[in-house]
Amino acid sequence: MVFILIAPVFIMTTCAVVEDEIVAIATYVCEIPPEAKNLDHPNHAKYQALLDEIVAQGVPGIMMTVYNQADADGPWVGSGGKADLKNRVDLKPCNITRVGSTVKMLTAVTLLQLVEEGKLTLDEKAAVYLSDQSTRDIENAKTATIRHLLQHSSGIYNYIQSARFQTASLNDLTKEWKPQELLDYARGRKANFSPGTDVDYSNTNYILLGEVIEKVEGKPFYVVFQERIFHPLNLSFTSFAAVDPVPDNIIRGYIDLYGKLEVTDATHFSGWDYYTADGGLISNPYDLQLFLRAVINREIISDLSFAEMTEWVSSSSNKDIFYGLGMFKMVTKFGDAYMHSGDAIGYYASMLYLPEHEIYISWAVNGNYGKIDEFTQSKKAIEFIIKKVLE
Amino acid sequence: MHMRNLFHFPCVFILAIAVFGTLSAQNPVEISVFNESTSVPFSGISLKPLHPGVQIGTEIPWHETNHYRTFLSINLRYIFHKNLYRAIAINLELGYDYKMDFGATLKTGIGVGYLHSFNVKEKYRFEAGSYSKKADIGNSRFTPLISFGLGYRFNPDNFNSTELFAKQQYWLELPYSPGFIPLMSHANTMVGAKFSTE
Repeated sequence: MVFILIAPVFIMTTCAVVEDEIVAIATYVCEIPPEAKNLDHPNHAKYQALLDEIVAQGVPGIMMTVYNQADADGPWVGSGGKADLKNRVDLKPCNITRVGSTVKMLTAVTLLQLVEEGKLTLDEKAAVYLSDQSTRDIENAKTATIRHLLQHSSGIYNYIQSARFQTASLNDLTKEWKPQELLDYARGRKANFSPGTDVDYSNTNYILLGEVIEKVEGKPFYVVFQERIFHPLNLSFTSFAAVDPVPDNIIRGYIDLYGKLEVTDATHFSGWDYYTADGGLISNPYDLQLFLRAVINREIISDLSFAEMTEWVSSSSNKDIFYGLGMFKMVTKFGDAYMHSGDAIGYYASMLYLPEHEIYISWAVNGNYGKIDEFTQSKKAIEFIIKKVLE
Repeated sequence: MHMRNLFHFPCVFILAIAVFGTLSAQNPVEISVFNESTSVPFSGISLKPLHPGVQIGTEIPWHETNHYRTFLSINLRYIFHKNLYRAIAINLELGYDYKMDFGATLKTGIGVGYLHSFNVKEKYRFEAGSYSKKADIGNSRFTPLISFGLGYRFNPDNFNSTELFAKQQYWLELPYSPGFIPLMSHANTMVGAKFSTE
């Protein structure tokens, strides 16, 4: 009888719909950098129409920056859709968002700087700088070089592909995962190939590289990012999640989990990349564009490092993608694109450079999974964006 | 902030109907509490984080010998995952109990079910070019399941005795996200009691 009394009470109390957070509109107020242009850019109408078209497909919100190095117009920044669906706040080009794995290019740049300073070499074994705990039972971790990890040619199993990790993540969506907990999902898993014989994307590589940076520099890798990249490039919209996992002013992220263009708030669900160098970056397209320009123009790495970074290796599984060090080359209908993209739960971002056109395009959206991905991160979507920008 | 949504009270109503319906029948009544976890099959018992559930059901005997019996169980359950969904489900399970002399029962079962889940968070639907808040009508799922467990009968000689039991149940939720994630795997770690009506 106790059960019969308690069960309905339990059901009634949990039948409540949890309302999304009430956030004051002022929380999202931000200033567009003075060197950026919006309405006063000659291509504003064309670029804004592109964003409006993407939003009209079912993307909650999108920010974009376009910079043509060949003209004097300066970077265009724009946005469409909402930063916050609950509070009906329009997205602004200066808002901040999660940009996930784009951080891997920052990890690579940091390591290339350390190579330039003679603190390590690309072709030495990464295990020299890794704890036994980190390499334990991870096949190839003791033999892969730093170059192999940067290039995804280590063969090391990608923990994110583990069904055990994926279900565990879904089971505890607000858990904040520590590096060793993530590495546990790569332990005991067969490597995909011997180091240096192929390439295959693996987040595990970049968790290990974060530890290499920390060992060499004696401080958290994200502090090294701040000192070597964020501050020198004046990336005022950029931070790392470990410092403040969910800043008050971060735009809300949404997931279309069931593929019906019905989204729910996932702002607090990205705890698996707060503390590792394979994700966790908070930024926006304007800052991503500044960073990518600094890389392409060798402002923060040497010519030699850039040559190492862009020594492309083809993948046996995808002939359109070539792997560099923390950077990819995608073969598109409009020429090569040097790029990196990144996901978090509820967020996606991409930054690319078109060398044949000398144009930088970066964009970030606050929705993913289900039907949304095809509008923002598929090759078709990327080519659509490039086409519209080049028109 | 929480808001009580009166439109979800039908699930309470359904449960109440089942409670009284099964109590009035001449078959044993089974009640259970459990923790649901999203996990790959056979990955062990998970009690954290807590995704609580309750279940009530009954058993219809099919065949019985001195050492085993088969039966059909009908269960109504409610599950609450605080970040994703709450769901009501009805399951039909073909059960097999093996009776041991000292009162223990080895229990297995295989079955199918229907689950209707609702978001626990506010939902925004894309319509006419923008997202706006909409009431959730839920998602329908097919849920095949298997279970393993151990029971203890208060009367060792009688299969229909009042019994305490613990079960580990594995079930699939499909379709989950068509074109993205075809199915999702779950486990329930369950304890309960069967009350004989004899």
